[in-house]
Amino acid sequence: MAVAPMDTAAPVRRPPRRAETGAGRRSRINGHLLRLPFYLLALTMVAPFYWLLITVFKPPSELARTPPSFVPQSPTFANFYDPEWTAQGVNPGHLQGIFQRFQVDFGFWRFLFNSLLITTTITAGSLLICSLAAYVIAKHDIRGRRVIFLMIIASMMVPWQTTLIPNYVIMRNLGWLDSYAAYIVPALAKAFVLFFLVQFLQSLPNELIQAARVDGAGEWRIWWRIVLPLLRPALAAMSIFIVLAEWNNFLWPLIIVQSDEMANLPVALARLNSYFGGPDHQGAIMAGGLLASIPTIVFFLVFQRYFTRGIALSGLKG
Amino acid sequence: MASPVPLSRRLRRHGTSYAMLLPFLALFAGFLIWPLANSLYLSFTTFDGINPAAFTGLDNFRQLAEDTRFHHALSNTGLYVVASVVLGTLLSLGLALAFNGTGWPHRIMRTVFFLPSVTSSIALMLMWKWVFFPSDVGLGNTIVSWFGGQAVAWLATPGLAIPILVLMSVWGGMGYGMVLYVAGLGAIPHEYYEAARIDGASTWRQFRHITLPLLRPVTTYVVVTGLIGAFQVFEAVYIVFQTGANNIGGVLDSGLMIVPYLYDQGFTHFRLGYASAIAWVLFLVIFVLSLVNLRVGRAMKEL
Repeated sequence: MAVAPMDTAAPVRRPPRRAETGAGRRSRINGHLLRLPFYLLALTMVAPFYWLLITVFKPPSELARTPPSFVPQSPTFANFYDPEWTAQGVNPGHLQGIFQRFQVDFGFWRFLFNSLLITTTITAGSLLICSLAAYVIAKHDIRGRRVIFLMIIASMMVPWQTTLIPNYVIMRNLGWLDSYAAYIVPALAKAFVLFFLVQFLQSLPNELIQAARVDGAGEWRIWWRIVLPLLRPALAAMSIFIVLAEWNNFLWPLIIVQSDEMANLPVALARLNSYFGGPDHQGAIMAGGLLASIPTIVFFLVFQRYFTRGIALSGLKG
Repeated sequence: MASPVPLSRRLRRHGTSYAMLLPFLALFAGFLIWPLANSLYLSFTTFDGINPAAFTGLDNFRQLAEDTRFHHALSNTGLYVVASVVLGTLLSLGLALAFNGTGWPHRIMRTVFFLPSVTSSIALMLMWKWVFFPSDVGLGNTIVSWFGGQAVAWLATPGLAIPILVLMSVWGGMGYGMVLYVAGLGAIPHEYYEAARIDGASTWRQFRHITLPLLRPVTTYVVVTGLIGAFQVFEAVYIVFQTGANNIGGVLDSGLMIVPYLYDQGFTHFRLGYASAIAWVLFLVIFVLSLVNLRVGRAMKEL
């Protein structure tokens, strides 16, 4: 997991560094001393991650050993796929890698696929639906838009778990349990995304939209050709929040998923963990966790500059 | 608001606008407004998910008032929320003050602390479960053994459940708060500090009278979103502390919280009416917190 230093901070203006004097050096050393507790804290951040990483590359026999090794003694990829494992158990000491663990077509790939499909569909779908509504609320002079907007703002104070049980009953009555529809459809109308997009649109001037109207462009065309491109930074910022939330979604899938095939990554890994608790199985479980983390880390690294801007644009302005 | 234009003409003129609003509003009504009203209704009923819901008035809430498991869940949640938000906020601010530079050492430190925010949360939970493995093969007990201690049954010791949950929450969340604070620090005009220095103000006084007041919107945001998120904790309890299908909250319910209890009542005991009542208690708590947030926000705008 090589992670490049990131740029999560808005640029901080610093005074130009002067030629180092004795006092300057002393204050720099003081600065490091003051930060010492935080360097130690950083160690506690790194340690569990390191523990996860070395676990992934230890063979089962080494995982059950006390005291544990802190550098894998015989590094292996067997926790991903062990070619020497047989279902008959003629090869003691060999366990299934994560890609051999699940009795569904395509094994672990199926859950990667499910999570990717669900996350991308919800992200794209909710951004389209919310941007359409945001355009109307921010730029159209229709009756009732204030009331609608107020209701949407008020709904942001509702913890989504309050609607958990009725939504479960709705899914059951629609026959949607254990389907992609149950993952996707209820997750599309996101109040906080709409709120954010409305705020962003309100801060933009009307001239471009007016000019397009004068030229005879229809509203759908204006939304697609003018509003969406204008919204791009806001959409990018929101997509980070949506992707992270949906990728990690656990409680809702736990309730609507019944079969092995329809699990997303968190549910599949939770089930795996509840079946295999021994230390020798931890290698495969941690390998699954590592694979589940790579997509979000990559996504964040690609979009991180929008993330900072998203923070600056959102409620933080006061 | 009333316009003299007849409805048919208005619809013709604004039909497109309503059509554009429709997908959002339909989904919003179908999966949020209606379920919200429905869950309020269900909270006054006995409902097992199969037979029709039977109206029982305030029975569920009366029962909640006497349910010792629910009280336990409430007090656990309260303790967890206060400890994790206070610690998390202080550490976020400290980290932001320590590492707000643009040079690579600070950026690397920020990356280290932010990493849990972009790591799959199930991976983190499984990682913690493995760190706190009860025998000597786990990382926690290995460290204990370096100091000559005996192996600890971390997750099976009732007194350790809340501290471990707080640790997991602070460890995973302080990097996010730090990033918010770093953005807030970057927005403070540097001239303020220069003026203060010319006036001979000490570093502490600069922090106390410039940094802290100007960071107040960030602090409000970090605290309120932290509170709301902490009240909704589920995954950490379910993954790390569950010891069997019928024991969701760990040994002696030591890690039981509101949402895990809601899940337990609703989806392992199928008491959907009772679980809806729990959901409404959660709703009221978070609603009040959000209102406080709004009021604080407005008060600060007027200042």
